[in-house]
Amino acid sequence: MSADIPYKYKGSILNPLKNLGFFARKPVTEPLQPRDASANYRGFHVNDWEQCIGCSTCQKVCDNAAITMVRIPGLPEDPVMGVRNERPAIDYGRCCWCGLCVDICPTSSLSLSREYVHICREDELDSYFILPDPNGMHGEYFPKGWAKTEDADLVDLDLQPMHELDPVTRIDSFDEIVEGFTAQNAIVEASRCVQCGMCHDSCPANMHAPEYIRHIWEGNVEEAVRQIYRTNPFAHVCGRVCTRRCEAACSVGRRGDPVAIRWLKRYAMDAVSDERIREIAAEGKVDYISGKMVAVIGAGPAGLTAAYDLVMKGHEVTVFEALDKPGGMTRYGIPEYRMPYDRLDADVEVITSVGVNIRYHTRIGKDITMADLERDHDAVVIAIGLQQGRSTRIPGSDHPQVQSAVSLLRKVTLNEAFEIPRNAVVIGGGNVAMDIARSLARRQKAAYGKVHLTVAALEDFDHFLADADEIRESREEGIELLDSRGPKQCMIDAEGQLTGLVTLGVESIFDDDGRFAPRYDAMDEQLHGADMVIEAIGQMTDVSLFGDDLTERLEWNRGRLQADENGRTSESWLWSAGDMVNGPDVIHAVADGHRVAASIEEYLA
Amino acid sequence: MRPENYQAINQPPSNEFELNFGPNHPGIEGNYAFRVRLNGDVVTAAKADAGYLHRGFEKLMEGRLWIQNIALVPRICVPDPVPMEVCYSLAIEELCGLEVPERAQWIRVMQLEMSRLAAHLFAFGGHAATTGMYTPSFWGVADRDLILDRFEELTGGRVYSIYNIPGGVRREVPEGFLGRMSNLLDYLESRLPDYDNLFFTNQVFIRRARDVGTMTQEQALKWGVTGPPLRATGLEFDVRRDDPYLVYDQIDFDIPTEPGGDALSRNLVRRSELQQSIRILRQVIVRLPALKGPVRCPIPNPLAWNVPAGESYARVESSKGELGYYVVSTGGDKPYRVHVRGPSSMHAVQVLEKLAIGARLEDVAQIMFSLDACPPEVDR
Amino acid sequence: MSKELNLWLDKLLSDIESVKVKRKSSRRIRIDVESEALPALLELLQGHASYVHLSAISCVDWIDEDEFELVYHLWSYETNSLVSAHTRIAREPGIYLSIYDLYEPAAFFERDIHEMFGVYFEGSPDMEKFILTEWDGPPPMRKEFDSEAFVNQTFEWENYRPQWLKDIEEEGGGITTRPEDVR
Repeated sequence: MSADIPYKYKGSILNPLKNLGFFARKPVTEPLQPRDASANYRGFHVNDWEQCIGCSTCQKVCDNAAITMVRIPGLPEDPVMGVRNERPAIDYGRCCWCGLCVDICPTSSLSLSREYVHICREDELDSYFILPDPNGMHGEYFPKGWAKTEDADLVDLDLQPMHELDPVTRIDSFDEIVEGFTAQNAIVEASRCVQCGMCHDSCPANMHAPEYIRHIWEGNVEEAVRQIYRTNPFAHVCGRVCTRRCEAACSVGRRGDPVAIRWLKRYAMDAVSDERIREIAAEGKVDYISGKMVAVIGAGPAGLTAAYDLVMKGHEVTVFEALDKPGGMTRYGIPEYRMPYDRLDADVEVITSVGVNIRYHTRIGKDITMADLERDHDAVVIAIGLQQGRSTRIPGSDHPQVQSAVSLLRKVTLNEAFEIPRNAVVIGGGNVAMDIARSLARRQKAAYGKVHLTVAALEDFDHFLADADEIRESREEGIELLDSRGPKQCMIDAEGQLTGLVTLGVESIFDDDGRFAPRYDAMDEQLHGADMVIEAIGQMTDVSLFGDDLTERLEWNRGRLQADENGRTSESWLWSAGDMVNGPDVIHAVADGHRVAASIEEYLA
Repeated sequence: MRPENYQAINQPPSNEFELNFGPNHPGIEGNYAFRVRLNGDVVTAAKADAGYLHRGFEKLMEGRLWIQNIALVPRICVPDPVPMEVCYSLAIEELCGLEVPERAQWIRVMQLEMSRLAAHLFAFGGHAATTGMYTPSFWGVADRDLILDRFEELTGGRVYSIYNIPGGVRREVPEGFLGRMSNLLDYLESRLPDYDNLFFTNQVFIRRARDVGTMTQEQALKWGVTGPPLRATGLEFDVRRDDPYLVYDQIDFDIPTEPGGDALSRNLVRRSELQQSIRILRQVIVRLPALKGPVRCPIPNPLAWNVPAGESYARVESSKGELGYYVVSTGGDKPYRVHVRGPSSMHAVQVLEKLAIGARLEDVAQIMFSLDACPPEVDR
Repeated sequence: MSKELNLWLDKLLSDIESVKVKRKSSRRIRIDVESEALPALLELLQGHASYVHLSAISCVDWIDEDEFELVYHLWSYETNSLVSAHTRIAREPGIYLSIYDLYEPAAFFERDIHEMFGVYFEGSPDMEKFILTEWDGPPPMRKEFDSEAFVNQTFEWENYRPQWLKDIEEEGGGITTRPEDVR
């Protein structure tokens, strides 16, 4: 179609003269100063140092390699919470102001201002390398230009869905609640990771989480397992019950859901066959025998991790376990719906397959003494954990129906028969209280068809010690949670039957010095009817196995065994590790096991 | 090229001399060298010499993540960067199967037409300058500046907007933008009579530009000419209508052609395209407020984004002609090969060499500008 | 594009042996053809199927398979569809026939591919260097040429020493990760 210009070809030589009329028009005047930029302008960088955590994701996405990370002493540094004292510095000779760094920043601390003028001479080229701070490049105020908006976020803030059993189904059995990621969801979830490494820094065992997440994303689960085994031979367990320091430090978790590092570990471990995991775990074992013998007391995470490390270095290790099966608290303390026994067995089988020898049903102090161990071995590790529950010692707490959570959980694991209470009260608000409450709830449902359980904790709901997931799930299963209630006494009737627990309202838990000294309101009294009361207020260890002589020789610190930063006690041949040293936590126990093994390795070399 | 690498054009010696046009010359669009062999004032042979703007983009793109390339891509064509971004994004969207939301498609059309307006204002300003008329070029650049103001408001950058990513656009349209855009279109339409009086109907220009660099339709098809120069030979072809992409099939616009095939016709085609672009933009402004929704579809974390293996050839009508992007992916997080086919690859090199023969020296620059040669596209 | 023309084109192509045709969408067709048969196919498409416009010739370096892939993109103004003809040639010696006598735009692309990949097109009017006239290294688009390594060897990164960096280093801080370490 031909251009339909009405004036076409009607050109006249005089036409341009019509534009002489411009002389009569007012001229356009532009001011000399730089004009204001638009609201969206991509000017110089501004970084809010309070929000910036030094994760260096901006450095990874910059396409011109313009960003350098600089460590600035004096800024807050907290590996556990995922804060580094590094800040990005930008080379304006390379930056093209594309704004990708702003769009991907997990904390949205980085933004571009509306400033755009910078003048320098050739000898002032150093001024091109700037450290963006809240004040702007030249210290003058310019309003924000290109900043992160909700629809412009390049980081995926939402967790991938994962199937879990619903409350109605799960109360009927001890089947594992979590079904885990599908391969598709795992890859998408792994792709959310920005590879900042905060999780690595905050993990007590410094697991190589960024590496194994990257391998999961690539589809290479075997390499992921290899990365996991660099630091953690208890990965089936940690992939289910770890306390997840990593997720608390995750950069993506600053504004969205943290990357599900624990469930990804679970996915990777489940995706590879047990046989193949054994092969991978045995890689790197030295091909000689050192001739040194080490004894480990307690087949829990700390003891078995130390044993695994030492066997990989060529030493001969024997583990002495008093009970019939390995795992310690991970088996006898954590219910099966959270930690299925067959997965725990798989973890332990990997450890025994590299050559660790476990002797079950052997109690030190009874079948063998500590003196025997000292004589027959070059080093001994004691990692017996915290097997006993503390008691509140309130009146009536010595009644047979007042039990400790730890021992009751052991009975549940061993499938020992005990009378299922129709009505039970649990004292305590931590994860152990939740464990026993939910286990009893299942038993109650199976025996009587309904759940009647109360949990009474000193803390209020804002400070509850148990995980938020546990609290939510136990409520879904029909358990009543009461906060700010302290135990007063157990009511026993004339025939000697336990009838209930009396609790008082809590006014405060800690005194001014921060010591544990709860104060109750005597007017606020409640009676909770129960035929069983379970105490879940803390754990302690039974150190009678040492014998009087050794107990004299060792140094103690307020009832706990004194050990240096490598876990070595005052006796040069004895190390201690795990819950009994650091308190109950699986990943700390694993980290302890590594530390102790490294120390023993140095000693034996 | 360096003097030591100089090679004369392969022609028998005679009373001819060679002149090196460029690379820094007002008569050359961009950084480009063009050697002509002259017999008096008439060109007998011509050879193009490119490479001054070679930045190695195709190789660079292979070493960067998919999303990092959006900052490289607009730099391939300086006056008209938006079609580059859109073409790259279209190619990746085809590989990934991404569904671009409708609102984003209309915003992309708006940007493309704004960029076409800016490029045409620049181009005929340049053409005017080669004939010695500098006022239209000043006007063209000044009016283009107003369009760049709108780009700055929408995208944050005046020339390189870096605003399109695979899946949509990066930010929402600001408040009041459509009103200001509408005012700008009114202003541009009111300026068109001024341009017409000064330039398009100026007998001085018409006599200068008529029958300069004439090509017939057969020659144009044989030489692989596309875009306004092809439409100036009478063939009505436009990628927007004949190989539609985005939402151009829902928009009403005409495709202007001219029968002449010379520099004047090419210029008049651009003049008409200015009006058509304004027409398209008005339709977009009317339609856009009614479309709600996101401006981009979700893409994975850019640091961990694997585009499925495959290859795709995306085509877009830029202001200079047909733009093609051939993208090959092997399923990784970086492109395996990106081949950019700019329209100037044909126009600025072979077509120009052929049309320059027989032209007078003073018309060589005019031919180059009327073909709208863009050396950054040739060099990449 | 009309359905009849589509069907006719599909039938035409299916009659030829040694080509593999895949229709990707209503306006895109992919043809894989042996390198000996390509010029004949192009002649057929140009003469009988109105594919007169050569949009581009792309070259892809499949170094693992020791082959170059040449892709010829052809457009027809009458049927409004694009045919991409793919063929493979051996990486060494990297010689192929020019199609300049069929399509004149091929000269530019063939010269470009020769410069960038080292593929020689016999019969192409001008195989002289065009863009890389001062370059005497290997053809740079080949996968074995590492442009980043070349840049790092030949040029120096700017070593900035601004005052703020000196102050921080005095306090005990300093640069921890350079951008080149994480690329």
